[in-house]
Amino acid sequence: MDPLILSFALVNGLLIGGVYGGVALGLSLIFGVMRVVNFAHGSLLMLALYAAFWLQALAGIDPYASVVVTVPLLFAVGFLIQSVVIAPLIRRESALVVEPLSALLLTAGVYLVIDNLALMAFGPDVRSASSGLALAPLMLGPIPVNMQRLIAFLAAILAAVSLSLWLRSTRMGRAIRATAQNRDAAALSGIDVPLVYAVTFGIGAALLGLFGSLLATFIPITPQVGLSFGIRSFIVVVLGGIGSIPGSIVGGLVIGVFEALASQFVPATSAAILSLGLFVLILLVRPSGLMGRA
Amino acid sequence: MTAHPNRLHESAARLPAGRPRRAAAGGVSPAGLLALALIGLAALALPLVADSYLLHSCIVVLFFAYMATAWNFVCGYVGQLSIGHAMFAGVGGYATVLLFTGLGLSPWLGLPVGGLLAAALSVVVGYPTFRLRGPYFALTTIAFAEMIRIWVENTESVLGIPVNGAAGLTVPLAGESLAALQFNGKAPYYYLIVALLAGALAATWALERSKLGFYLKAIRGDRDAAESLGISPARYQLVALAISAFMTGIGGGFYAQFFRYVNAERLIGVDLSIDMALMSIIGGQGTVFGPLLGAVLLAPLAEITRGTLGGSFLGLHLVVYGIILMLAVLYLPKGLIAPLRAVLARLARRGGAR
Repeated sequence: MDPLILSFALVNGLLIGGVYGGVALGLSLIFGVMRVVNFAHGSLLMLALYAAFWLQALAGIDPYASVVVTVPLLFAVGFLIQSVVIAPLIRRESALVVEPLSALLLTAGVYLVIDNLALMAFGPDVRSASSGLALAPLMLGPIPVNMQRLIAFLAAILAAVSLSLWLRSTRMGRAIRATAQNRDAAALSGIDVPLVYAVTFGIGAALLGLFGSLLATFIPITPQVGLSFGIRSFIVVVLGGIGSIPGSIVGGLVIGVFEALASQFVPATSAAILSLGLFVLILLVRPSGLMGRA
Repeated sequence: MTAHPNRLHESAARLPAGRPRRAAAGGVSPAGLLALALIGLAALALPLVADSYLLHSCIVVLFFAYMATAWNFVCGYVGQLSIGHAMFAGVGGYATVLLFTGLGLSPWLGLPVGGLLAAALSVVVGYPTFRLRGPYFALTTIAFAEMIRIWVENTESVLGIPVNGAAGLTVPLAGESLAALQFNGKAPYYYLIVALLAGALAATWALERSKLGFYLKAIRGDRDAAESLGISPARYQLVALAISAFMTGIGGGFYAQFFRYVNAERLIGVDLSIDMALMSIIGGQGTVFGPLLGAVLLAPLAEITRGTLGGSFLGLHLVVYGIILMLAVLYLPKGLIAPLRAVLARLARRGGAR
């Protein structure tokens, strides 16, 4: 194997892996705080991709500039899903955590509604958005680095770091962490738990707003694109450790590099099968993930 | 992740009241038997009056009822959510077609052989995954099914056996042939799926009264307590899964014969798995007739939107499914059959008093 091609694959794997990690951040956050597996995670990314596409197609807004719209928009969507769909379930359950299966079924309902509404509204056509910023590939020695991917990669790292700092240092961040540890104790100390849940879901979705805008520049947009990203996010989160923010990025990097290197030796589709196999293996052998605390 | 407290109350409360209630609701009463017999007769007479289109739609609805009943056989009774059951349908469907085209084996044998292969796959998949609980189990079943789907979609042939990738396989036309399980009219398919559904319902009815059924319910109520009483959750869940996969595999074979076409996206894809699960859940999982009720209420929606509204409403029925699923999880967690049963029981009581 040519070392140049291999190192090119490695760089690309790291970049796309960072993006996988960034996309998975919200899934990990929501599960860590609420014990809700958000089956509609990929659907929200798909919504953000379409938002970026239509903002460019109809209003001429560059995908990179559309971040100012997609992030608040997706925050609102996430906030609404939590307060309208999931909150009644949490109110019904008197236990410390909601029954995970009911929550999974609820979000599976959200997935069916969002994906198929998008199919009806936008049709099955493949769309793409392109940024007016014509970015030449950055040359890393002999290896060309795709700028759109590099930007998305850096955004993922930045998002993970800021999310950690925000959770650590702000009042709302501390309230979220307290609620994650013990919902009832948090409620007893005066924390508005329903608000914390809605904000958590909103932030998880807002992160997808960010990546929707950034990914719109280099991935094909279809109504079905969500599920594959959703499943890959599950893999990343399980690999990195559910609820762990650095784990999400590390898991993403591992999957990205794994798929990029594996596809040098086997067809890309077999690489996808291998990463699903890795997911099953991790769940069976080390369910706490690479960075998780059992 | 411990069992949910509500579930504990439920199973504890059921024990003393269990016997009389089952007798009332399980169709053992003379009135219930009469009603079942009437419904059965009406079902058998349908091909005499229905036109081809209506009959086709009924076959599709009954196919989903059968698949949901097969899903319910394990998932409804052990309280685990499988979103990968389509992989068993895929094995059954592909095996039936390939045995016919490759070896000339009649589908009448292909169906049960496909079912057995699906059951074998279920043991391989279920053995490691049943240790996982809740969402972990659900996600693993998706992962297994997706691995198989992606593999089939990207494989043209393996060991000389043509899989034909994403294009799928067609069943070669054999004309009106009982041996090849191909008919020009729809009625034979209709009677076949009615028979399969009746078999699956009978198997579920027998499960409810068998030792296996009680073990499964105990595992659903509190797995740790069940294990401490000497019930091996792994073994009994596997047995139930293998039976469920066997039935699902036969369903996949029926699909192949009826549409004379199989492909990975339809038969192994996540959509079929979700359909099976949500019809069961909305109708009432862990009951004999719940999945049938769910399919009868939901599957016609897909047929109607496809038949009358055309392509512009491609995903409409799934939007409605999603909304009904959310409402059911929030407000009718035991499924639509629970309130229906209450009404029937009240009617029966009033009738008895008179």
